[in-house]
Amino acid sequence: MKTKLFGTVLLVISTLWACQPERDPLKLYDELVVSTGYDDAIDFSSYSTYSIATDTIGFVSNRNPDDTILYHPDSEYPRPVLQRIESNLNQLGYIRVDKDQDPDWRINVYVVNDFNLFQEVYYPSYYYPSYYGYGYGYGSFYGYPYVNTYATNTGSLVIEILDLRNITPDNKIKVIWSAYAGDVYNTIDLIKQTEKAIDQSFVQSPYLSKHE
Amino acid sequence: MNKNWPVLVVLLVCCITAQAQDSYFFINWDVNTPLTNKEWIGNTSTRGAKIGFRKFVGSDSRYALGVDVNWAYFQEYKPRETFQTPGGAITTDYYNDLFQLAITAQGQYHFPVGNMKHVFPYAGIGIGANRNDFTVSYNVYQDEDYSWGFLARPEAGVLFRIGTRRKLGAMAGVHYDFSTAKSDNYNYKNFSSIGFQLGVMFMNW
Repeated sequence: MKTKLFGTVLLVISTLWACQPERDPLKLYDELVVSTGYDDAIDFSSYSTYSIATDTIGFVSNRNPDDTILYHPDSEYPRPVLQRIESNLNQLGYIRVDKDQDPDWRINVYVVNDFNLFQEVYYPSYYYPSYYGYGYGYGSFYGYPYVNTYATNTGSLVIEILDLRNITPDNKIKVIWSAYAGDVYNTIDLIKQTEKAIDQSFVQSPYLSKHE
Repeated sequence: MNKNWPVLVVLLVCCITAQAQDSYFFINWDVNTPLTNKEWIGNTSTRGAKIGFRKFVGSDSRYALGVDVNWAYFQEYKPRETFQTPGGAITTDYYNDLFQLAITAQGQYHFPVGNMKHVFPYAGIGIGANRNDFTVSYNVYQDEDYSWGFLARPEAGVLFRIGTRRKLGAMAGVHYDFSTAKSDNYNYKNFSSIGFQLGVMFMNW
């Protein structure tokens, strides 16, 4: 009897210990993933001026935009984000001008929000035993299907450089550089990590400079 | 993969082996160190277990045949780094995870040592199949790959019987695993590891 009890306890402990180790969420979610891409046919040093919004960033979402912290009228997010982008571009030698001063570039900044809702319907077994013990083998009165709902809310900050100098005859504007930073919804310190990600997006784009 | 499946495996093996004679069932804590592609994961895994069953064959109880099921979780955190991609770059820190699940048919020989009542050294080999699940997690994003392969596992160890009347024993062993499960995405042409196992056995002889 003791051997069986010991064995059972050991089995439970062993199998639980041997389960998948959890990833540290502080490490995983804190720093944003920064991805950049560019048009390698472009000589970025040949451009000089850009325009960028002062206090507004775009928002693209598949849900009600009123729910997001980024779109709230009192949100403190847009201004430091735009200032950080401007600061980086200025350090690289580009000059900010007003949009009606014929800039070479337009800097687009927006957040793409992807909200997903998953629902799973569970159907308890028809032969689920009765709660009170009798009637084992018969359908339970408590065996109604139930629904579990899961939600994921993810988003990326997108920065784009639009080439206003080479607008096509049919008024198409080419994106010659883009940066994606995510996930902005699960990071621990949103503004600080976003600023860090913006800096990184320029660091990993050494071709993006006015200097020789 | 469902995280509760090890419990189901344990219960299944217990049911199958409960009534067998001249046999033993064991559960081991299994520690493994990868030997291939250590740049991707080089950390030793302490998150592993092996469950097995052996049935003695022959009149002198020197040979045994059986089945093992084992699994191991390898995990390694990689600090932030920048990868150059065609037309750009990506910077992130990330976790590499490798989950290994295997089932093998085992054959082993028990060396005659002393009075053959308490200590049973053995050597054997297992042949079977294994599945490797590769996962890269960066922020909320994941890339995954998996593969199946043939597995060969030479193994040596020793069994200790705790008292001649008791059905409880201890066991320890070392094993080398070579699997053909590969992943082109993560630069695995095969996978090999060396492991140490320690645990208890429940005897029916």
